[in-house]
This record gives sequence, C-alpha cells and structure tokens, in this order.
Amino acid sequence: MTTQGTPIITLDPRDDTAPALPRLARRPASLDGKVIGLFANNKPHSEDLLRRIAAIIGERYDIAGTVEHNKGGWQWPARIEDLQRTAQSIDVALHATAE
Amino acid sequence: MQFDDWNAAQDYFFANGLTDGLPVIPPTPERVQAMLDYAGVDAEHDLGTEVIRQKRFTAGKAAVNAVMAGCRPEYFPVVMASLSAIAERPFNLHASSTSTNGVTALTVVSGPYAEAIGMSGGVEMMGNGNRANATIGRAVNLFKANFYGSTPVVMDNSTFGHPGKISFCFPENLAISPWPSLASEKGYGDDATIVTAYATLAPLQVTLHGDRNPADLLTTVAHAMLAFGPGMPEVICVISPEAMGHVTTAGWSRQQVAEFLHEKARLPASEWMRWHRMGHELDHDRMVPVVPDADRITVLPGGGMAGGFVSLISTWGSSRSVTRRVTVPGQGTQ
Repeated sequence: MTTQGTPIITLDPRDDTAPALPRLARRPASLDGKVIGLFANNKPHSEDLLRRIAAIIGERYDIAGTVEHNKGGWQWPARIEDLQRTAQSIDVALHATAE
Repeated sequence: MQFDDWNAAQDYFFANGLTDGLPVIPPTPERVQAMLDYAGVDAEHDLGTEVIRQKRFTAGKAAVNAVMAGCRPEYFPVVMASLSAIAERPFNLHASSTSTNGVTALTVVSGPYAEAIGMSGGVEMMGNGNRANATIGRAVNLFKANFYGSTPVVMDNSTFGHPGKISFCFPENLAISPWPSLASEKGYGDDATIVTAYATLAPLQVTLHGDRNPADLLTTVAHAMLAFGPGMPEVICVISPEAMGHVTTAGWSRQQVAEFLHEKARLPASEWMRWHRMGHELDHDRMVPVVPDADRITVLPGGGMAGGFVSLISTWGSSRSVTRRVTVPGQGTQ
C-alpha cells in the first residue's frame, strides 16, 4: 500500500451548500416600554429562570410587562402557530433553558 | 482537496474533526464513484431533508462518508436506506444529536440482503470483527457528524457518550429465529430487506443463566428495563440463541414476549415520583409502564450460540424509529 510520497485527491465529507441561516431581527435600542415574551422549554426550573431574568431586566428598564409561553418540551421546536400568536403580543422574546 | 500523500490526508481529517477518532479511508473520487455506481445513483440523488437544520442528504455525501468508514460498495444501499430513515421527522435527528444523553444512530437490518453482504447476527454482532456491521454503522455516524454537523462539543455534548457512537449496526439473526422476519412482520414481504434506524443509548446486557421458563427469564429482563425509567419511547430486546431456545420451546411469539415485558416492566406512579423519574401524578397507585405499549418493544433474536443473555437497548427522548426498504439496483427492492 502506498502511504507516503504519492499525492492524493479526496472529496469533502462536509455539507458545502450555503446554509440558509435565518437573519436576526433588529434589536431595540432600549427595553423601556417593551413587552417581553418568556419562552420556556419545560426543562425543570426553566420558567423560574426566565422569570428571574425578567425580574432583573425589570430592575434596569421600565418594561411594560411579560407574556409567558411554555412550548411543552425541550425535545421539539415550538409550534409555528404558537410563535406567531405570541409574537403579536410581545416586543422582544427571551428564551432560556435550565435543569 | 489535494494532499501530498495518504498521511497528509489523515492529518487533515483529524485536524479538522472529520473522523470519529480513528483513521479513515481517504475518500478519493474513484472510491466514491464506485459506491454510487454500485447503487446506480448519481451524487445528487436525494435521500431526504432534515427539516430543523434544512439539510438535504445526498447520495454523493453519503458515499464520501461511507468510503471514509471503510464500506465496500455493496454495503452502500444499506447506508443510504439508513440515512433516509434518520432524515425523517419522527427520528428527531437534531434534538437527539444535541442531547447530553449520548445518542447514536443504530441501524438494524432485517432481510436476506444482510446475509448477502456478510453481516453478522451471531458472535460479536454488536462488537468487533465484522466489516459490514462495523463500517455501515460507522458510515451513518460519520455522516451524522461530518455532514449534519453533530460533532463533539460543537453540537454533540454527550456527557459520557458510548462506543456505539462510533458504530452501531447489526442484523436480525434469521437463522436462529422461529418467527417471520421483522421485514415480513412490518408488511414488506418475506424477500424484502429493511433497515430500521433508532436513536439509542448504550446497550445493557442482562444475564439469564439458570432460567429456562420464558416467564422467569423475561421477568429478569423486565426488572432490568426499570432502570430506563417511565416514558421510554422504544426498547430493543435482543435475545441470545441460548435464551431464545427456551422461548422457542415454550412456543412464545414475538408479540407475546413484547407484551410480557410491557406488562412486567412497570411501577406505581408513587415510586417513579420518589425517584424523580416522573412529574406529579394525581393517581399515586397507577401502574406506569416503562414503554407506553407493547408495540414499542422490538424483540430480535441474535448473538453467539453460547451464553444466556439479553441485550436491552433504550432509545432517546421523543425520537421514534423509522423504517426504510433497502433498494439494490439490478435486483429490485430487497
């Protein structure tokens, strides 16, 4: 078997197609007056964590309130229709996991 | 990609995280084309699209990874069928690939093509020594890492991982089975070959020496299943020939075995709750099974002739197994 000194050409095992990455929405300059959506993934303590983060944000900004949504499980994406419905009542979204 | 020599190619694949920690066969265009030619497909042949990452699986990229894994061209139809299966939504490839549980893609082959390509359902069926078993399973998991992106630390943060994450593939052992093949039972026909892909954790071996009555030996198995906890999506139960002899002598069907395990592997809700294995349950006395119904238990004969054992393989979270028929050009669907 030739192992040294012989040039070798190989193909690439990776996905070389351009990734269709979603673009991030524009960030608000301030959270003052904003409604914050809290998206929990149903991991233990995920809702507690999100509420604590929202409370800290509330100490720093004059937020208009929070809207909570639990997507029911960490093993599946949120349902599109749930996201769209919640998006109509919030200005920014916060997602976090916990254990 | 061009390299000065074989060693330089190996160095590149290692340096760029494109191996499972073992050396690979450099995927030269000629070797990759041989895979595609055997299967009678071109590089753009569509194997399916994984919807979360929007990754379209192609035969070309599958062939590159199959060469790297050490597959012979005749193994490639099985690799393609398995990759088509894991692309399906119920397999839940994305979430299972990110889990700390340590999830691999297990390929179970049922039907005559497994024997035709030299797969082993006997000694070391889950271990070392058989090229087809080892490299088909390796090809699927290399593809999962290299193409899909499920590489350690980057996407895959398995706490322990397990050896099956390098390769996990075996066939149903039809030679020792008193039952119709899984392919037949799933409605594909006696001559069909199918693959079923499972998102699995590490196997758990259960010793059954001394038990001769199926009810006794399967009670031991059911007790071992309790370690998986409630809400297990599926369980695979591989029964060694020695243990299968007792099952066969007693005339038990595959369905009877599954139903017995389903019935025995359960605990009161209060006990699962005490172990923090399930959330709040109003009826503390309700008996909660490990798997929701008997159809979620796949029973397979397999393994070496000596030794009374069962290998239990648990599956991950919300993933469900997916079955695909193996297609061999020139021979029709197998």
